[in-house]
Amino acid sequence: MTSRDGTRLRVDPVACAGIGMCAHLAEDLVRLDSWGYPVVPRRDLDPDEARHAARAVTGCPRRALRLAPESTT
Amino acid sequence: MDNRPALTLVPPVAPDALDPRAARRLLPGGPVTFPLVGLGDPRPAPGLEAHLAELGPRPAPPTADDLVGRVAASELTGRGGGHFPVARKWRAVLAATERTGVLPLVVANGSEGEPASAKDAALLCYRPHLVLDGLAQAAATVRATESVLWLHGDAHAAHRAVVRALEERRASGLVETPVRLATGPSRYLSGESSAVVRALSGGPALPESRRVPTATSGVDGRPTLVQNVETLARVGLLARGAVDAHHPTSLVTVVVGDQRTVLEVGAGVTVSEALLLGGWPTDDVPQAVLVGGYGGSWVAFDRARDLPVAEASMRRAGLSLGAGVLAPLPARACGVAEVARLAAYLAGAGARQCGPCLFGLGALSTTLTGLARGAGRRSDVRRLQGWAAEVTGRGACHHPDGAVRMVLSGLTTFAADVERHRRGRPCPGAGAPGVLPVPEERP
Repeated sequence: MTSRDGTRLRVDPVACAGIGMCAHLAEDLVRLDSWGYPVVPRRDLDPDEARHAARAVTGCPRRALRLAPESTT
Repeated sequence: MDNRPALTLVPPVAPDALDPRAARRLLPGGPVTFPLVGLGDPRPAPGLEAHLAELGPRPAPPTADDLVGRVAASELTGRGGGHFPVARKWRAVLAATERTGVLPLVVANGSEGEPASAKDAALLCYRPHLVLDGLAQAAATVRATESVLWLHGDAHAAHRAVVRALEERRASGLVETPVRLATGPSRYLSGESSAVVRALSGGPALPESRRVPTATSGVDGRPTLVQNVETLARVGLLARGAVDAHHPTSLVTVVVGDQRTVLEVGAGVTVSEALLLGGWPTDDVPQAVLVGGYGGSWVAFDRARDLPVAEASMRRAGLSLGAGVLAPLPARACGVAEVARLAAYLAGAGARQCGPCLFGLGALSTTLTGLARGAGRRSDVRRLQGWAAEVTGRGACHHPDGAVRMVLSGLTTFAADVERHRRGRPCPGAGAPGVLPVPEERP
């Protein structure tokens, strides 16, 4: 559909403990910073990417990741 | 560096700052001075009677549309530091209330965490009734059933002034939304708006990641209007039509020596004029000015001196008045050491919740401290810039972003000194006591 329906991968930095599971489960989307915390794309994901991202979302032991509509913060 | 005679710094007293027939002032008594740390023992604020004699009664609340429209037309922005358009927040609260039927509340945020700033304290100590007028007006406009005034636990003078003002208002039979006084820990971040909301909902006074804006769902899930006390004082004047929309003023704190001076200046007043009004000596020229606060920007004095002290002008120069701080750095002081001190303070003042902020600001601070001592490495600047880029935008709140702004602007502004420090030749002033106040942060 249109870009208005795009989804973004978002990290709750308070919940995140830097375990790094997300970088294994969605290695093309998530990289880890100098301290092991995830850096996620600051753009909408295409459907294929969103499927990969969903694996990271469900695999996060801290439930710190979510897929959110583009408009929310 | 700059050997121009100091008299380039002597302006006439800015006429705009002293014009008595201009619209009503936030600080009609002129500049207010506080010690470098704490609020000292300010003289008692004018009572309710004097307040009403000066400004007249708070007008009956106009319809919501009326005051929101006036706030929008005045382009009033939030003075806690974010400068978010006030009318937009009010409309969001009204819309959320309409949509959900949940009754909103208003929080007056007087928790001034910025160590260099004392403008909110000045208003609470000397203009409590104007702040409370604005709070009542905001509450009536968004149809709030409850108002809260949120203060730092150690802001004793402000607390006393507000308690006395509230008692006077109750005794005089003023009809307004009841105000609850609440205090939080005296930390840098406990005035951050998500931290205030979290604390008032029964949690710790620490920032949190918010999926929906506070205006939509804040304290206990209610639509919540969090507004800085200066913003509310301005609402108090605006509701009375007692402001000159064409000549808005700014409230700034100027830090000089062991004093913080709060000034209300007209839009025509420049940074160098404000520094003089704030007590900067005429026979000295600062090397740089920290604009906005500890999460603000260092600017070389040559670039800052003629900038008008107004948010719109600052924005055009890529700066922000933020919480209204103007902190000049004396020529003899070491900029690198000062940046390192502030970075260490900000690293310690974090909420220790978000990894990138906790570790990133820690790394910045450690490296800057080494650099300030003259024990830096060739790669320091590159590493600092790398961490800064990694940390930006990665916290639940904007604390890391502000710290990075201060550090990067410091590296640019004091680039020549940084280079000497990096080569193991620190400035003569590097070992001297710091200039800006750095309170002890208790985690």
